Amino acid sequence: MLAELATPDGGHTLPIPGLFYAFAFLAIFYFFYNFRRALASRIGRPESRPFRWRSLLPNALYYGVAQRKVTSRRFGYASLTHLFLAWGFMELFFATSVVFLVERDLLTAWLPVKDTPWFAALNELGGLALLLGAAMALVRRHTSLRPDVLPQNSFGGRGSLLGDSGILWVLVLLAVGGFLTEAARLVIEAPASASASFVAYALTGALTAAGWSAVQPWLWWSHAALALTLIALLPQTKLFHSLLAIANAGLTDTRELAQLRPMHIAEMLADPDADPDALVLGAGKVDDFTWKQLLDAQTCTECGRCTEVCPAHAAGLPLSPMKIMQDMRRQLYDQVDGTGDGAALIGPHGISPEELWACTTCRACTDACPVLIDHIPAIIDMRRFLVLSEGKPPEDAAGSLEKTVQQGNPWGFPKEERTQWAADAGLEVPLMKDRESVEVLYWVGCAGAYDPRNQSVTRAMIAIFEAAGVDYAILGREERCTGDAARRMGEENVYETLAHENIATLDKYRFERIVTACPHCFQTLGRDYAQLGGRYEVLHHAEFLQQLMDAGRLPQGALEAGQVTFHDPCYLGRHSGQYDAPRDVIARSVTSGTPLEMAQAREESFCCGAGGGNMWYEVKGTERINLLRFDQALETGADTVATACSFCLIMMDDARKVRGMEETVAVKDIAELVAEGLAG
Amino acid sequence: MRICVLIKQLPDTGSALKIRADELWVDEDNLVFSANESDSYALEEALLMKEAQGGEVVVVSLGPERVGQVLKDALAKGADRAIHLHDPAWEVLDSLGLARIMAAVLKEEQCDLIFTGLQSDDTGDGQLGPMLAELLDMPHVTLVVETELSDGRIKVKQELEGGWFQYVTAQLPVLLTIQSGINKPRYASLRGIMAMKHKEIKAVGAGDLDLPADQWVAGRTLQRLYVPEKTKETVFLEGSPQEVGAALVDHLVNTAKVF
Repeated sequence: MLAELATPDGGHTLPIPGLFYAFAFLAIFYFFYNFRRALASRIGRPESRPFRWRSLLPNALYYGVAQRKVTSRRFGYASLTHLFLAWGFMELFFATSVVFLVERDLLTAWLPVKDTPWFAALNELGGLALLLGAAMALVRRHTSLRPDVLPQNSFGGRGSLLGDSGILWVLVLLAVGGFLTEAARLVIEAPASASASFVAYALTGALTAAGWSAVQPWLWWSHAALALTLIALLPQTKLFHSLLAIANAGLTDTRELAQLRPMHIAEMLADPDADPDALVLGAGKVDDFTWKQLLDAQTCTECGRCTEVCPAHAAGLPLSPMKIMQDMRRQLYDQVDGTGDGAALIGPHGISPEELWACTTCRACTDACPVLIDHIPAIIDMRRFLVLSEGKPPEDAAGSLEKTVQQGNPWGFPKEERTQWAADAGLEVPLMKDRESVEVLYWVGCAGAYDPRNQSVTRAMIAIFEAAGVDYAILGREERCTGDAARRMGEENVYETLAHENIATLDKYRFERIVTACPHCFQTLGRDYAQLGGRYEVLHHAEFLQQLMDAGRLPQGALEAGQVTFHDPCYLGRHSGQYDAPRDVIARSVTSGTPLEMAQAREESFCCGAGGGNMWYEVKGTERINLLRFDQALETGADTVATACSFCLIMMDDARKVRGMEETVAVKDIAELVAEGLAG
Repeated sequence: MRICVLIKQLPDTGSALKIRADELWVDEDNLVFSANESDSYALEEALLMKEAQGGEVVVVSLGPERVGQVLKDALAKGADRAIHLHDPAWEVLDSLGLARIMAAVLKEEQCDLIFTGLQSDDTGDGQLGPMLAELLDMPHVTLVVETELSDGRIKVKQELEGGWFQYVTAQLPVLLTIQSGINKPRYASLRGIMAMKHKEIKAVGAGDLDLPADQWVAGRTLQRLYVPEKTKETVFLEGSPQEVGAALVDHLVNTAKVF
């Protein structure tokens, strides 16, 4: 027990009772005992992604501690609430640690001495921030401000003690108790700088000095007990997310987000000793995920942002990315704790196949997630299980997958007719097989080759190549589907077959770069194939057209297309970060200049509904994703809806027909806008 | 229980077909081949029956090297073993010759059930099933759209003309020709593809069979293969909506005979 010391200004310091240390030790011990829950994810498989030490600390600090992704324009109120809560909490944690050290005469050279006015005032601000944040959060949870998707006490296996609102009330009590305890201290210790603790100082008038002295031990002990209990039980409450989020952020390689892990099926098939029944093909059980994927699920705080931005959810399809994470986590804890009813991960009491198939892999969820959860690969891993292990792709898609293998395109058109678009238009298009080397290998893609709407984009690109004098050639019949849809449907075997064939074809030829008008081909050729050893410089036509314009190789600003709005394709925008190039190309192609922006544009763009294989099957919702998006385009009042993706073009064109706008609104690829400007 | 399924490989329906110079068949270079559609349903029906009742599914196909692919696909989907009939002497066969070869092979297999598709999508004869059943001295039912197996008997729903059906019961062994649409053919999983590599594909040639060579000499020869000329006729119906409606119905019923 500390001796009571007289202070110069006449008051006396209050001692910290020895019993407190015993309780503090117990609380911290129990905290670490509880903390073992964080290690539940070790039942997962080893992580195949290389670990990146370099980004560990920066990511933990930037995304974890500083919570970069919590701040979001779209979720302004929630962002502000969390800002107050988190920084208030951290400031008070910091303040308590400092006071503890100062009381022990530790590190005094580095720390503000007791009752430093600015430090006292800072701590008051911390308490106010916590109180304000908790109040804002409670208002949001219990008024009409509450988003429909925000769960209330639906714990999904996460720390459930005190629930969603209960923990907020604990924080309120903690802040109020802190102010009252401080007020009592100010009265008893009477420091010179008492008024710097402005909130507590204002409260001192509530009781007489004798009154404060009488209640001080009660205030102090109740505040200490609440704080220590919270520390001890933190891993069992929702607040555990604060620690998991920092860990998860540090362990995330943000460059790999939304990238699928390779399976190397060719090697599996070549292995004569492989036991087909023992192979793990995708994720059908919770321990088929990697530990990092399970840590993602553990980290989920159930903020609901992923589900709020999900286009499938918006159209009433049975998908909530948050529920996927909740279900994975419930399974994880059930397995680790030996609880649960043994229900399958994918099935009636877990995740339904329809939920998995409804995902368009648009990446809105991943980009909205404040704690860096990687939803898409988890969903695709479960699709891989359904397809590769169970042989159950969506019914409509099975034929398309088989056709892709047979004819090299998902429509199943004859492979001999892959260059029919050129013959029909009377075009002589140079083929790679006739050329020594070229500057640009133009990747036509299946849609560009077979779909009538996209054939027009291909012809536009050819006209542009000719007009700009680009040294180019195409693969012609040697080109096969890149396998994007197959891969996103979980059919990694079909994807790899196509990828290996295409890589072998590409490696025969000499070219500087590949250009493609399809962001899905752009993703597979430019990023996916690198996992299988096919490394190429790939440009999406938006960037390529921009470069041609920059170099003065194309005439500009000639086309009358009325007002134009641009729909960001997911694989060009969110997946590849290209938002400016297509807008720049439009602005320089049409007389109306800079395109109009839809309510959801750029990073917040809303999917057309066809990604992730959804072009080839349909999961029924209450509405159609492409119609929701087309209506957003109409709201801008634009005369032309421009896009830069084969599937977006088909989906927007289809929506235009459904809405009966064929006479009034045009749907164009940016290449068509450029090419039509050439003609005029 | 042993179920034998006959599968024919033919050019994929999505292929662009070209007539060979001798006008006796299509040019098979660069063609994509796949299993005959109704044979895929026959295989699925056999696999469903095996899963419900236990037993073995044996798939049989006749043709050159490439035919191995449809057998592999069937094994990947869950068939237990395959027989590949392959001999240069069998390049040109008619239905009876084919049926005699199949009969020689299947006699030894002692199948409880034999399934084939109801007809092939290339020549469309629909004869192999009934001929084979006669040669093996077993009953057959064609155009089967539903099956129900119990106690060594099978009850099948058979499609008749004009939207009619009838139920037929038969004692095993029996041969069924299966109509497309009876079930939903499954998708081959990767697990199935990997298991397929450990399954047997037995090659059988003319020399392996106790069958004199004159048994498969074609009694029917193809004269010429050609693409029929397309004709199109557009008729404009004129008059009031009532008159046009009546004329359209009359045309559909009496001229086009769509009902």
